[in-house]
Formats: sequence, C-alpha cells, structure tokens
Amino acid sequence: MSAMTGTAAPVLEARGVSVHFGGIKALQGVDVAVAPGAITGLVGPNGAGKTTLFGVLSGLLRPTAGTVRLKDHDVTTASAQTRARKGLARTFQQPELFLGLTVREHLTLAYRSTHHRSRLWTDAFTAGGLRRPDTDETARVDFLLDVLFLGGVADQPVGSLPLGTSRLVEVGRALATSPAALLLDEPLAGLDSYEVDKLAAALRRAVAEEGTGMLLVEHDVSMVLSVCRRIYVLDFGVLLAEGTPQQIRDDPKVRVAYLGDEVIAEEKS
Amino acid sequence: MLPYVIAGLVLGGIYAISAASLTATHRSTGIFNFSFGAMAYFVARFYYFLHMQHGWGIVTAAIVSLLIVAPALGVVLYFGLFRFLRLSTTLIKVAAMLGLSVCLPPIATLLFGNIAILKAPGLAPEPVQVFHPLDVPVTMDQLIVYASVVVIGLLGVVILRFTAVGLQVRAMVDSPALMSLTGTSPNAVSVGVWAVSSFLAGLAGILSAPIIGLDSGSFTLLMAAAFAAVIAGRLHSLPTAVGVGLGMGIATSLVQKVMPPNSSLTTAVLPSIPFIVTALFLAFTTLRRGRLNEGDGVGGALDRAIAPQSGPGGSRTAVRRPTGILRRRSWEPSTLVLVAIAMVAAFTIDSFWTGYLAQGAAFAVVFLSYTLVTGEGGMIWLCQITFAGVGAVTSAQLATNHGWPVMLAVLAGGLIAAPMGTVLGLLTIRLGPLYVALVTITFGLLMDKLVFTRDIFSQHGLGVAISPPGFADTDATLTVLGLVVFLTVAYFIVNIRRSSTGLALNAVRWSEPGARTIGISILQVKVLTSALAATIAGIGGGLLAITAYAAIPANFNTLEGVIWLATLVTAGIRSNAGALFAGLTYTLFPAVMQIYLPQSFSSVPVLLFGLGAVYIAKSPDGWIPEIGDQLTGLAAKLLRRPGRDVIASSARESSQV
Repeated sequence: MSAMTGTAAPVLEARGVSVHFGGIKALQGVDVAVAPGAITGLVGPNGAGKTTLFGVLSGLLRPTAGTVRLKDHDVTTASAQTRARKGLARTFQQPELFLGLTVREHLTLAYRSTHHRSRLWTDAFTAGGLRRPDTDETARVDFLLDVLFLGGVADQPVGSLPLGTSRLVEVGRALATSPAALLLDEPLAGLDSYEVDKLAAALRRAVAEEGTGMLLVEHDVSMVLSVCRRIYVLDFGVLLAEGTPQQIRDDPKVRVAYLGDEVIAEEKS
Repeated sequence: MLPYVIAGLVLGGIYAISAASLTATHRSTGIFNFSFGAMAYFVARFYYFLHMQHGWGIVTAAIVSLLIVAPALGVVLYFGLFRFLRLSTTLIKVAAMLGLSVCLPPIATLLFGNIAILKAPGLAPEPVQVFHPLDVPVTMDQLIVYASVVVIGLLGVVILRFTAVGLQVRAMVDSPALMSLTGTSPNAVSVGVWAVSSFLAGLAGILSAPIIGLDSGSFTLLMAAAFAAVIAGRLHSLPTAVGVGLGMGIATSLVQKVMPPNSSLTTAVLPSIPFIVTALFLAFTTLRRGRLNEGDGVGGALDRAIAPQSGPGGSRTAVRRPTGILRRRSWEPSTLVLVAIAMVAAFTIDSFWTGYLAQGAAFAVVFLSYTLVTGEGGMIWLCQITFAGVGAVTSAQLATNHGWPVMLAVLAGGLIAAPMGTVLGLLTIRLGPLYVALVTITFGLLMDKLVFTRDIFSQHGLGVAISPPGFADTDATLTVLGLVVFLTVAYFIVNIRRSSTGLALNAVRWSEPGARTIGISILQVKVLTSALAATIAGIGGGLLAITAYAAIPANFNTLEGVIWLATLVTAGIRSNAGALFAGLTYTLFPAVMQIYLPQSFSSVPVLLFGLGAVYIAKSPDGWIPEIGDQLTGLAAKLLRRPGRDVIASSARESSQV
C-alpha cells in the first residue's frame, strides 16, 4: 500500500511500523504519511492502535520494526525530545499539562525549549531570574493566547481550568514550538461547540499560514471527513484503507468495519 | 551448612514478617510504611516496660502488647495520620511517614523511661531453653520465630483467599474507588489493615529484641533491610517478598560462614547484604523492564482518575494560587531578614551560642540541597546526608592530611560528591518516586556500612580533624562564612527557580511525557539537578566539619538524615528561608532544651521535628511559607484598606462638588 499519493514530500512518515507487546501485535506493518500544510486523518475503532502509532511517531514508544522519518531525516531511534526539537509536536488523549505552571508559562516554556534553549549553569548564574522575552517570543505567545481565546486565563495555573480549556492550552503549547508536524490525539473530546470552533479555526490557521502538517485522531467521523485532505483507517493494528474522504466514505471495508451506520445515517439525512 | 541455614532462618523470618506486612499495607492502603521499624520499636519497648520494668508475666505482657496496644497504635495512627495520606502525593506520604518514624522512639522514651537496656528478652521464658534437632542447637526464641512465620503465612493465605474480609482486602487492592461504590467502606478495611500491620510490626519487634537489643536505631536499620525484600517483590508480590526475606537471612548466615571472623570487611559486608540485594534487583529490573514505577498496575481506571498528580509536594495551594511568571515563590525578603538577624546575633549574643549559630548556618547550606533536589526537582532523595558526609571526610582528608587550603578542600568535597549524585541520578531516572526514595536510602545505608566505617575516615570514631580557615577562626566569623555560603547557594536556587530551567524542572515533575514532547530532556534536567544538589550537600558537609573541628562519619549516618529532612519539611522544603530556619532550629533548639529543661526532656526536640514532618499531611508547604503567606495577606489587607478609603473619600468629595 503506498503511503503517499500527493505531490509535496511528507513532513512525517512511518513505513512498515510494527509494535509488539509480548504476544500482542498492536501494530503490523503500518504506513502513514503526513503532508505539509494539510490535515491528515487517522481513524479506527477503540483498540485499533491509533495511540500506539502516535507513541511511535512522537518517540515515546520504540517500534519493533519499521522506520519513522521527520522532514526526510530518519528519527526511528531518536528520543521524543530530539524529535520535538526537529519540529514534531503532539497533544495527548488525556491532557498532559504541568499543573504548577500558568497558561502563559506553558507557552513560554514550549517556545523556549525549541527556539531559545538555556542551560542550568547559565540560568544559575544569571541575576534577575527569568530573562525578558524577546519580540518574537512575545508575539508568538500573545498570538497563540489570542487565537485560542486563552488571554483571559493567561496567568492562571492550568490546574484550575476545565477540560476544554486544558485541551486548548495543550494545543497552544504544541503550536508554540512552531512545529512542522503536529499530532493531535482526540483534541475535540470534552470540548463544547464554541471551543470546537475556536480550536478548528486555530488549527486551520496554523495549517494555512505556517504550513504545519497535522495528523488528527478523532472519533467525530463527520469532522474528520470534512477537514482532512487524506485519511487512514486502522483496524486491529493493520491499515484497513487510505485515501481521500470520498474514497474512505465509499470504501465498503471501512463502512463495514468502522463507519457503519453513522455515515449511512448522515447520507440519508 | 545446616546450622547456618537454620540460624539464618531466624533473621530471614523477621525479614519475611516485616516484608509481608510492608507489602500488604502498601498494596491495600497505598502507603509505604517507612515507620515500620519505629512502630516495631514502640511495641517492643512497651513489652519490655510491662515484662521487665513492671514484672508482668510473658503471656500477659505479650497479649497486652501485641493484641491490644499494637493494633490500637495502628488504629490511632490511622485516624490521626494515615487516613489523610491516602490521596496525597508520594512526597507527602514519604515525608509524613519518615516524620512518624522520627517521633515514635522519643514518645516511647517519654512514656516508658529513658533507661539503658543492655539485654532484651523475647517471648521465650528465661533461661531460654535450647533444643538440638538434627544436632543443631536451636533456642526457644528461634523456634518461636519459625512458628510465627508459619502461622502468619498460613493465616494470611486462609484469610485472604477464603474469608469475606480477605475478599474485601483484595477488592481494595484492585480498586478502592470501585469498592466504595459497592457500599463497602475502604476506611473500615484500612483500619483493619493498619491494625494487623501494627500487630506484625510489634511481633517483629519483640522477636528481634533478643537479637539486636532494644535500640531504636538498630530497629529502623533492621526493618530498612526488609525493604530489600519488598523491593524485590516490586512492592506488590507477597510470596516474592517473603521468599527473598527468608533468602536474605540465610544468605547473611552463609556469608558469615565463608568470610573470616573478626575482620572489618566481614563487619561491613554482613549488614550490607540486603542493600546489595536491592541494588542488584533494581539494576536487573530496570535493564529488563526499562521503567519501574510503584503506580504501575495499581488500582483501576477510576482510582487513577482521582489519584493526585505528582506535583510540587502535592501542594494543593500550588494549583490554586496564581503564580505570575515573574512572581514565582522565591522568598528573598524573608531569607534576607533571617540572614540579617543571624549576622547581628553572631556578634551580639553570648559566645556560647555562637558556636550553635555557626553550625546552624552550615546545616542550612546542606538543607538547601534538599530544597533543590526535592523541593524544586520533586525527587525524593534520602541520602543528601551521605553527600554531606562525603564532603566532610574529603575536605578533612585534603586539608589536614594533604595540606590543601581549607576552603579549597571544602569546594573539592562538594565536587567529589557531584559525580556520585550524577551516577545516582542516572540510575534512578527510570524509577518512580517511591523507588527513588527507597534506592537513595539504600545507597546511604550502604555508604554508612561500607565506606564511612573505614578507619581512614572514622579514626576509631574520632574522625579526622579539620581547622577553620584563618579568616574565620572564631565562631562569629564562622557564622558569617556559613551565612555567606548559604546566601550564595540560595541566590543560585532563586535564579534557577525563576528561570527557564526552573519552568522546565516544574514541567518535568508534573508530566514527563508532556515535557519530552516539547523538547525538554528529562535526563539533562534531572541529572544536572542531582549533581548540583550533591555538590551543595558536599560543600555544606565540609562546612559542618569545620564548625565541629572534625569530620566524624558517624555524624552523617543515613537515619540521622531522616531527622534532617523532617526538620526541613516542617519549616518548608521549597523555601530558602525554610532551609535557614530549619538549620538554625536544628542546632539551637536542642541546645536550649538541654540547658533550660531537665534531662528527661532531651528527646523532645526530635519528637517535635518528627511531629512537624507529620504535619506536612495538613500543610504541604511547611510552616515558614504558611506564616509568610498569612503575613503577606495581612499586609495586603492593611495596605488595601487605606487605599480604598482614599478612593471612597475622593469619590465622595467629587460627588459633593
């Protein structure tokens, strides 16, 4: 199965990825490619291996077989932090936030981790503590706070925020690293319709203006079909289908295994 | 061979009982009982009080001690402390349990008297009968140990597998949250578990007394050895813990057979066996499994959802309180005020007290290493005292035996500790916080036994002399030296706290996956913090040696470090001012008590330090930050009121116009 049929070279690509946990084969020979400046969908029923694939792509899990390439560099053995510095960011199914930090501090830390890294030694000897942000940093952080409508809670610790806002913070933290590729693990779960609109607008803007390539895992199939240029369907650890939204919608295997009544009902309505 | 195996089964049996109790309690209540040794000592001391001091018969004294007082102790501690800890973070749990282990022995001393006990009886009548099965001499005390292990093992299996109570305990192990939803109170089961655990602690204590005597330090050390068996059972396997406990006892006995008697190496190696077992197990497991976390596989999804995050001290206030990016808690004003007071005091108070002041300043430097590694880094390291000891003995060796300038030797002492901190940081990077605590206390105890006992360092208990530098040859100038070093280190910590590195440290302790995926290197952050903290402890240790005019390794034993930590936690483990306050309190308070109160009150300071650490269950930030917050709030209120009045009056005036 070909991994990519577009013109632009993929910004993130997995080839023949397999992950085995003892006797359990969580992924088997999966090929996925994420195009720059577009949203790619990854769907499948619970237990299909989506989160495992995210773990492999982001470097938190080492594959049993296969390779991962980021911006045409082989990063299969690279750590998660190395991949992050090379331009890969991700969000988590359960937001992984730093509960002791404020919203602004999340974005500042993420920005500095990839743009202006400092060392313990220099920080220890630098009087005045946290250095003043430069113009680019201020602009980037304020921009993200603005587009994600987080300005009102910028100086609040994230521990006090509701789930929906926490998800926005996590996306903002990921975008603050100016990623070339962004993995979004069910970013809409728990969001109300207003927050969904805000998040969708911010993601579209990042795709259009910064050329970020995104891989979106989402159970809201109609959303995935509407925003993604290309979609991969996983089932029991193997790639069941790939193609444009229309091709996925028309694929009988996908309709039986995953889409089922949902799309049919949508079509009828 | 057989006599050694049979003899080894005695120690092994005590390890097994302790390990079984520790594992069962941790699995069912989520709390690792660091105070097991202290509880064992308390009950054993009470048994001695009844049997020897008041002449009660063995059976009556044993029944009252083991079946009434021991379970009651568990119940009282459950309602007074343990029930508040269940949903606390690991740091809070460890600090509170260590605090309890610190304050139980002095309570026993206050209640049962401060007498020297040279020989303690067990449960066998005196004179102890000796039997010779298979031509091997076995005492009645030993037989009681074997019988206890067998009876407890059988009873444990029967109760856990075949009774309704056992089913409830097993349900609670799987998911306390779900259990409570089925109408069974986890609290009721917890009370029972703690009562049984306390009984087992008491039994282990009374059985150990004839072997190790009635000394609280020996008890804590013996039970700390049982930690090895618990770790080998990965904190959840009862059969493995019991098996390894028995095995360690036999191994110790066999090594005794193989090694030359009366050798200093034998004396050092024998008590180190459990700690060597721990090190080997952890090395093997982390190499094989990659990670080792006490939370793995514990509880159900609902329990994980309501579990506390492993954040800064589990401080609820840390989540609630707005912390602006430039307003991170740094405590510079109160630190400076305390330093100024100490400086003035050094030149004004009676010279008798200045020596304590100088020592207090040196302690404050060591305490800052805890502030960095545990307060900021969230790593529960229980061996900072060992690094301080390394700094002390190194600086004394270099300054006295090799003619180095004293302050250069002190700095070198800190730098020698740095690679040790680095290696320990690397070894523990894949371990959960409780395992880190257990590994670091094990490392400290190993150093105590294998390194600090060497004659080159201990000099038969006298230590190696070291003189203060020429520019600080009085207690007052030594105090100033200590305070200057303290301020320098505190300045570094404040800078780190308020820098991008501080944010990264904070990020790593809340969510390692989240931190890694934005490009933060966990390895770099943790290892550098460990190395820096070890250096600070080493330098502080050198200063302590200078203020004591000798580096005495016995002053740096790991169990004493638990009292240091308890003192610091009481004052505030995330506060520089707390470190200085704790340092000064640690030396001045016992001195005041010693001079102005009768001898019987000598254990009160340690008791209060321990109780202070127990109080962390209620106030995770410590007293100094709490008082600081209250004063700041009061000042803000006082300052705001006149402002409002001015605005209100100007508004009134403008409306009148």
